Parts: sequence; C-alpha cells; structure tokens
Amino acid sequence: MSLVLNIFTIIAVLAGTFFFLAGTVGLLRFPDTLTRLHALTKADNLGLGLVVMGLLPQAEWPFDVIKLIAIWLFTLLAGATVGQLMAQAARRGQPTP
Amino acid sequence: MRNISARAAMTRWTGFFGFWLLLIGLDPVDLAAGLFAAAAATWTSLHLLPPSGGRLRYAALAQLALRFGQESIMGGMDVARRALSVRLPLRPGFVVYPVRLHPGPTCNAFTTLTSMMPGTLPAGVDDHGALLYHCLDVEQPVAAQLAIDEGLLIRALGETHDDT
Repeated sequence: MSLVLNIFTIIAVLAGTFFFLAGTVGLLRFPDTLTRLHALTKADNLGLGLVVMGLLPQAEWPFDVIKLIAIWLFTLLAGATVGQLMAQAARRGQPTP
Repeated sequence: MRNISARAAMTRWTGFFGFWLLLIGLDPVDLAAGLFAAAAATWTSLHLLPPSGGRLRYAALAQLALRFGQESIMGGMDVARRALSVRLPLRPGFVVYPVRLHPGPTCNAFTTLTSMMPGTLPAGVDDHGALLYHCLDVEQPVAAQLAIDEGLLIRALGETHDDT
C-alpha cells in the first residue's frame, strides 16, 4: 500500500512540476504582460494543486493534510486576486476596447 | 440587522478560531494569541465584507466547486499546451462581458473566480460598467462560459440581479 502511495506521490509531484515548467515557459515566451499573467495564474495553480495532492498521502492526518490544502487554497485566492489587479494596472494606458 | 450581524460575527469568529487551531495546534500557550487573532480577523472581515441576508445554497455551491475544479484543470492544460507549442497559438484580445451582478463583494467574487478559469483574466471595467476580460484566444466562447459561471454563482449565493 505504501509503495502505491509513494508511486502516486512521485507521479503527482512530477505532473505538478511539469505545469510549473509550462507556466515558466509561458512567462518567457508569451508576448506581453497580460498574456504572461495567464501563464502564471493558470498553469501554476494546477501545478501547485498536483504537488499538494501528491504530498497528501505523505502528510500526517489531520493537521498537516488540512495545512497543505489551506496553503493551496490561499495560493489560489492570492493568485486570482493579485492577477486581476496586475491585469488592471497593465491595461491602464491601453485603449479601451 | 443587529441579529444578522451578531450571528455572522459569532460564525466568523468560530471559523477563524477553528482555522487557527488547525494551523497552530492545541498548545494552551498559543490559545490567547489565537483568541485575539480570531477576534481581529472577525472585526476586519465584518468591515470589509458586511453580512448580508442572503443564504448559501449548498447544491449550487457544490456544482460551482465541481465546475471550478474541472475548469482549473482545463485552464492549466490549455496554457501549458499554448506555451509549449512551437507555433505559440495565441489570439489575445479583450472580451466585454456585461455582468448582471451589482458592483460589490459578489461581483468581486465573480471576477476572482473567473480569474482562475481557462483563458480569461479580468482586467477591470469599461466606461459602461461591463467587465473587461483579457483572453488568450478571443475565438473561444468566452462570454458563454462566463454566463454559466455567473448563473451558478448567483444561484449559490442566492443573489438578486438585473435581467435587463
């Protein structure tokens, strides 16, 4: 059982790092601030979700498990909030469509 | 209104204190700081987000959470596919979305929620009060997806809105 959980952890964390890598590639390749924000807010959220999911079987129930989930949710909320504030700031000076 | 405020304050304080206990643990030495932190968090939250009479509808909230989970996965995969593609398939631009929600906390919740959905990034409001969304691909049915999200949020929060 422990072997299965360890394999699950390895697969989920690797998948998570793949999305972090993809988000970073997007940050470097996308053409402007607004498109780069998409890369950071979408790919990294999924990446962190997968890393957290992978770590859950290794964490102690219940406190560490809840802490991990709370970290993920707070990061989601912070990313979504700051992302739109940065988008508003980046749009200033551009013509309104 | 006073009853709603008192009940909301008690509920929020309990939630904050419970969360504190989960994060810090049950060490009695830390409890005083936890009690104070929960009170400060309650005071702040009541000022920033005053309680309203609306009631949460849990079935719609669960539906919204499920959709959010699915869409987050789609969003991450969509960005990853575009970022790693040799051709870099982007058609960026703005979509104007005439939001039905009144400006305020619920509308802010909507923009925060949709900020995590695939291909959309809220970027403020236009001169007529409609929400502006920056999209990675303006040919995607962005407005239709936003309308589904907004409908679910309205149902979940039991909000009133303008249909006109």
